[in-house]
Amino acid sequence: MQLQKALTRTSKADFITEMVQTVSGLLLVGFLWTHMLFVGSILLGVEAFNRLAGFMEQFRLLDVAVVFVILTVGAHVGAVFRRIPSRWQEQKIVWKHARTIKHSDTWSWLFQAVTGSAMLILVIIHVFIVVYAGINAKLSADRVQSWMLGFYIVLLLLAEYHASVGLYRALVKWGYVKRRSLKKVLSVITVCTIALGLVSLWLFLSLGDSL
Amino acid sequence: MSPRHLTFRIFRYNPDTPKHPPSIQSYELQEETGMTLFIVLNKIREEQDPSLKFDFVCRAGICGSCGMLINGRPTLACKTLTRDLPAEISLMPLPVFKLLGDLSVDTGMWFRDVSLRTEAWVHTGKTFNPNEQEERMDNETALNIYEVERCIECGCCIGGCATANIKPDFIGAAGVNRVSRFMIDPRDERDEQEYFEVVGSEDGIFGCVGLMACDDNCPIGIPLQGQLAYVRRKMAVAGWKR
Amino acid sequence: MSRYDSFASDVIIVGAGLAGERAAIEAASQGLNVILLSLVPPRRSHSSAAQGGMQASLGNSAMGKGDSTDVHFADTVKGSDWGCDQDVARLFVNSAPVAVRQMAFWGVPWNRVVEGKRMYDGKEIQEDAEKEGLIAARNFGGTAKWRTCYTADGTGHTLLYTMDSVVIKLGITVHDRTEVLSLIHDGTRCSGVVARCLRTGKLRVYTAKTTVIATGGYGRLYGASTNAIINEGSGMFVALETGIVPLGNMEAVQFHPTSIVPTWILITEGARGDGGYLLDKDHHRFMPDYEPNKKELASRDVVSRRIIQHIRKGYGVESPYGAHVWLDIRHLGAKHINTNLREIANISRNFAGIDPIHDLIPVRPTQHYSMGGIRTNIDGMAYGLDGLFALGESACWDLHGFNRLGGNSLAETVVAGMIIGEKIAKYTKEASVHVSSALIEDHVRFQEDRIDALIHHRNGSENVYQLRREMEQILSEHVGIFRSEEALTKAVGRLHELHQRSYQVGLRSGGLGGDPELASALRITGMIRLAYCIAAGALARQESRGSHFREDYPKRNDEQWLKRTLAYWPVGAAEPVLEYEPVKITESPPGDRGYGEASTQSATVKS
Repeated sequence: MQLQKALTRTSKADFITEMVQTVSGLLLVGFLWTHMLFVGSILLGVEAFNRLAGFMEQFRLLDVAVVFVILTVGAHVGAVFRRIPSRWQEQKIVWKHARTIKHSDTWSWLFQAVTGSAMLILVIIHVFIVVYAGINAKLSADRVQSWMLGFYIVLLLLAEYHASVGLYRALVKWGYVKRRSLKKVLSVITVCTIALGLVSLWLFLSLGDSL
Repeated sequence: MSPRHLTFRIFRYNPDTPKHPPSIQSYELQEETGMTLFIVLNKIREEQDPSLKFDFVCRAGICGSCGMLINGRPTLACKTLTRDLPAEISLMPLPVFKLLGDLSVDTGMWFRDVSLRTEAWVHTGKTFNPNEQEERMDNETALNIYEVERCIECGCCIGGCATANIKPDFIGAAGVNRVSRFMIDPRDERDEQEYFEVVGSEDGIFGCVGLMACDDNCPIGIPLQGQLAYVRRKMAVAGWKR
Repeated sequence: MSRYDSFASDVIIVGAGLAGERAAIEAASQGLNVILLSLVPPRRSHSSAAQGGMQASLGNSAMGKGDSTDVHFADTVKGSDWGCDQDVARLFVNSAPVAVRQMAFWGVPWNRVVEGKRMYDGKEIQEDAEKEGLIAARNFGGTAKWRTCYTADGTGHTLLYTMDSVVIKLGITVHDRTEVLSLIHDGTRCSGVVARCLRTGKLRVYTAKTTVIATGGYGRLYGASTNAIINEGSGMFVALETGIVPLGNMEAVQFHPTSIVPTWILITEGARGDGGYLLDKDHHRFMPDYEPNKKELASRDVVSRRIIQHIRKGYGVESPYGAHVWLDIRHLGAKHINTNLREIANISRNFAGIDPIHDLIPVRPTQHYSMGGIRTNIDGMAYGLDGLFALGESACWDLHGFNRLGGNSLAETVVAGMIIGEKIAKYTKEASVHVSSALIEDHVRFQEDRIDALIHHRNGSENVYQLRREMEQILSEHVGIFRSEEALTKAVGRLHELHQRSYQVGLRSGGLGGDPELASALRITGMIRLAYCIAAGALARQESRGSHFREDYPKRNDEQWLKRTLAYWPVGAAEPVLEYEPVKITESPPGDRGYGEASTQSATVKS
């Protein structure tokens, strides 16, 4: 062993960052899917949706959720940031590499980086709006009547894709899962949650002026 | 059926003439039955371009010399049959490794360096006694070690890894797999903290982002995904206790 | 910039396969400074291709019970057709068990004995509970007991990787992609080598107290060979070209009975060991007709000859790559083929596009091993030059005589590395080095001149690849399994002419840097000289012994030919000079092998 190695033994830092990334990622996936189910309560009627929203505001769950999201997203971004090729040269290499080896999981990682970066901005806007305006069916319906409809569709697709691929990768990295079957299961879940989100959006849109 | 006419687009670069930038050169050849890229490249060198550099040793998928990107996919040239490829075939050297010229790369030095850094040998305090019977070992354990030891260090998992492509110190699937071989060997007396010392970092297992191009491209089918996950879990435990 | 790079050390070992690395470990652990030179990264050496195993009489497996060094000795001598040096064979068999155990200590995952019953070839085998967990052995041709230690289908691979891990651990310097061009010597003492860096093309001088050659065989002299393409005999011809060091028994060339057509990749003996059959074009199992006792599992020389004999009678299967026979393992079943014979299944699928579960495998005897090589004494010291050692396949230590047993070559590399490594260390500690710079300058200048002549077509414009193909063809056609005066005379004549033409090679590539054509051109003359020694030795030896089979002299002739050929190539000569020396017989007088044409037990088939 060399002196410099003896003085700087491999620290826990890399391990901890890795854990932070994985755990925060898993928490965000859980959050996202719960969130989608809650939004989907509009399928049960305006009454159900508003009652759920009221319940959340009453017990300050909304505040908890917002704080949770800000902290977890912050941690996640902080941890994954080291992964994103930072220098222009590295960017060129990875894109060229993905094009050369034509490997689907490599592409999905690049998309993940892209969707992640894009989402960061969209999520901030989304959280800001929710905190500023609160939640009820009327507000949501009004919002999707505007240009915000496009915003929500994009956010929905990005978030579901990012979560699905992220979860896939976490399980592949840590577990015994068979990749092919895992991919199938996750694709089904993702399609379902996206469908749920789209139906919810459509409901808000069609409810529109009736509220 | 008349034999196909094959076109090979081969990456050319000679470090002795750095003024000539890298280029792609085309070679034409008639396909023959049972033709492998070993036959193709030797034919090109002997009949068309004697300066073409590439590496083969065993030509039987055992030694790991001939890893290259064949239509983009990192694999062994010797066991690639032309009949499994389209009529137009692109050949590029493996990335990450030092380019020695055309399709030849320095995998040997790279792997030696990783072996040194990961101290890839059996660590034991015992000394060998020539008069003693060998230590017993469960046959199941021996087979498990062999399953991992089969890695031929061809570098396909490294060349195909996006992380290895941008992080020069990352030991990649082959490096982690090599360490896991010693982890499951009862003769190696290292404890988990000592292993953490060599693989518990961004250059080791925690640098892997899980793209699994290694697992998809390993030409001899080592279950790399499983090995990487095994080491990751083991090192997570070690890291936790640290 | 100087014209060449210089390196000095106590020991220079040329070749980083099993033999070279094992010797390096021995010398380095005794405190000597060692540099290993290798054409390729050490782990790519041809040693890694050995699938079968390593013989050592541990006697742990049930079918190895009662095995001893004496039985191993008897098998080895019989296999060699009494052509080996018996003191070497004795030393070897006595040391093999220690070598195997040491490899286990270093990390080789040998397959282990598992207690219990299992069926093999219709017989029940009961493994002993007492032996559970000890190193197991498998069956191989030409052995009385199961003696071949193995790790599944990758024994050579695990041995080499383990050996190399020890080399790395000890911090032994390795210069890979380096090719040796000549030995630096003054006629009495060898003091290093001139080499060429295959990365840059630059010449290098390595000086040392001891120079060791462990470069493996010359299989690639034959167009069809199971050997790796780096096995071009470079270590042998640089020794031969000193004019003082002889090569022993070069005519003893082993042909493996079963390599796959047409890539000539080896199908291991395990296929027949596990019960595979050889079939002719009528799908008739023909081996029992010739060898009623051993059938497909006679020694390699015998099975190879029987196959060719049968093909010559018109029973071969015609193909664009010549006639062949079939290897049939279909009856062993998919499960057995996909597990125990996985490597064979993979080779068939990957390289021939056939599935041995449903298809027959096309096979043909193919050059496989060189028993001959740099003649050394029992300590591994080469004849003729002080300070020069050789071991492994490149040497004629003489353990194998005229036919090597399967599993004895891997064993030889490790055992010889251990024993001769010790001798190397001892010699080196007592030696001193004083090499004159004028001598080095002469040797370097000679190589520079050769390279310059090749690049500038000073002597002609012969195409190196063309010469090479001709050489391969001559050997394959005329110096194959069956030999005769007529064919061998033809071969000698054509090789004589080819040797002259090899001086006139000119490059088409320009020869810049690590140019591959230049490397080939620098080798071609030496390779043709080796081919010449093989053909000339075979022509002179008017008997049949082991793998050397003369149709005009089909019997072994102990009265006149119980001796070893020594081939010399005096400097500037146009042909080799043959001399002979007696074979050392200590324990076992020449007798009947129990298989083969000369054996009383062999059936005679009318043609």
